[in-house]
Amino acid sequence: MGDPMTAYLIATLCVVVIITLAGLALNLQWGMGGLVNFGLFGFYMLGAYVCGLLVKAGLGPLAAMASAILVTMIVSALVSLISIRLSEDYLAIVTLGFAECIRLFISYEDWLTMGTLGVSGITRPFAGVLGSDWGDILFLLFSLAMLGIVFALISLLAASPFGRLMRATRDDPDIVASLGRSVLAIRLRCFAVGGAILGLAGSLHAFYYSYIDPTQFTAIITAYAFMAVVIGGRGSNTGVLIASVILVLLLEGSRFLVDYFPGLDGQTFASLRLIAVGIALVVLLIMKPSGFGRERPTVLAASLRNS
Amino acid sequence: MGQLIVNGLTTGMILALPALALALSFSVLRFANYAIGSYVTLGAFVTWWANVLLGLPLWAAAGVGAASVALSAVAIDYLAYRKLRERSGLTLLVASMGVSLALENLVRLFAGNSPRAFDVAVARPHRFFGLRLHQEQLVILVTVLAALTVVWLIFRFTRLGRAMRAIADNPSLAAVRGIERGKVIAAVWGMSGALAALAGVLIGLDTSLEPQMGWNYLLPIFTAAILGGIASPMAAVAGALVLGLAEEVSTLFLPPHYRMIVAFAIMAMLLMVRPWGLFGRKWVTR
Repeated sequence: MGDPMTAYLIATLCVVVIITLAGLALNLQWGMGGLVNFGLFGFYMLGAYVCGLLVKAGLGPLAAMASAILVTMIVSALVSLISIRLSEDYLAIVTLGFAECIRLFISYEDWLTMGTLGVSGITRPFAGVLGSDWGDILFLLFSLAMLGIVFALISLLAASPFGRLMRATRDDPDIVASLGRSVLAIRLRCFAVGGAILGLAGSLHAFYYSYIDPTQFTAIITAYAFMAVVIGGRGSNTGVLIASVILVLLLEGSRFLVDYFPGLDGQTFASLRLIAVGIALVVLLIMKPSGFGRERPTVLAASLRNS
Repeated sequence: MGQLIVNGLTTGMILALPALALALSFSVLRFANYAIGSYVTLGAFVTWWANVLLGLPLWAAAGVGAASVALSAVAIDYLAYRKLRERSGLTLLVASMGVSLALENLVRLFAGNSPRAFDVAVARPHRFFGLRLHQEQLVILVTVLAALTVVWLIFRFTRLGRAMRAIADNPSLAAVRGIERGKVIAAVWGMSGALAALAGVLIGLDTSLEPQMGWNYLLPIFTAAILGGIASPMAAVAGALVLGLAEEVSTLFLPPHYRMIVAFAIMAMLLMVRPWGLFGRKWVTR
């Protein structure tokens, strides 16, 4: 596998899988549940660190990943409990605050997290099964399998009665409450499942780079996930999947532009790219509020449209 | 202890301006503007540009900064937020996050990542009754008090202020009574932007300027506004002072880099127990 083009393709696809997972998690929380998670990167970072540190502590990679998913899920549930009785604006600032606090904690508690030095040498699951030449391909297959499982599960979830309850809560919590359902329990579960997916995405990040430090985790991850959901269409899992692929290809592809504009250095270019992401987010919300994908219509909505 | 109180009040004073700016736009539009941090940053850097590169004295440069951010805030509302006003509140939140990302990186594009400082003479700290009071702290005190007085006067005694309060209390009734919503909203954004920009100047004076500065203040700003009661602008000022004191006192038993965690803990407790704030009326949306 010495071919640099293949290696580049595999690396890009791994990033696609990780961003797609983050996008799908946000789509569950925000797209279907109406719960804005501005601190997405904090949960992702938590997943990466729990996984990385447990592997370093001697746990098997798969067991570490499972623990990371569980921990992120529980923490998500707890964080959402802080403001779940209030309107969504509060959840947005609570998650943002949580993410900043997690980053501070990880940056300064060296005894636990190695601080700014970072955690290195995180071994991947099934590493060494096929020899080091095939390591990246094997990891890509593993990540794709994980993505497939998550995609299947949340598609089932979206079509299930609970999926309908989530969307109904998003659209009008008062009606759901008046029908005797607990809005709090629905939101809590929705946010926790999203958190579990973020834990998985974070674990894959830790495995893929095999080295993590606090500077890798910034609000830019949150911005990319929001981009994926806004392009893909809120509530549409397939849309988010396609949007993530396009987004990563655009962002990765734009790296080559540096070669054509000699005046641009990396720093300037990074700023320009984020300005573009920010503006695109606003423009899309104005021009194409429902994105390019479509939420799976419910039976009733479909019959109303036909009549 | 006395010194802690002085420092805490300074922190609180600086926070008071953006917290007021946030509560102002929230009370009239019921929209929490996450881009407020980037307004702070933009104001600080425009001021730096006028101060260091154009050589204006700091007070004049701050005027330039406040005016440009006020104009930008009105323009951003006109170009982006206005078109999303009829949609769900969540859409506006996400849009304001996009605005924040774009503005912060616009600053980074021109200014780079290295910290900067204003061109001001260094003065010896004053001493009163054994307390150290820096020249900067005096400037902060005077500026914040002046800005708060102006906002209070506008709010209390002008037609504009009355219109703002009317829309905040009951938008449809205000519309029926012929209050021009568009003009009032523009005025609110202008005031909000100018206050945020001033805060940026004061933060730059107190510490240093960097593109990340507004983002770092986002959580304390929201905490201060929620502490006061986010729907009542003047209470946000009281919230800011309480938060400033609490953060400073916490350094007695926590390392200073954990101030953000103190702010978060205060906000979390508050949201669980008194979401309408310490001083706000019992008003809550679910």
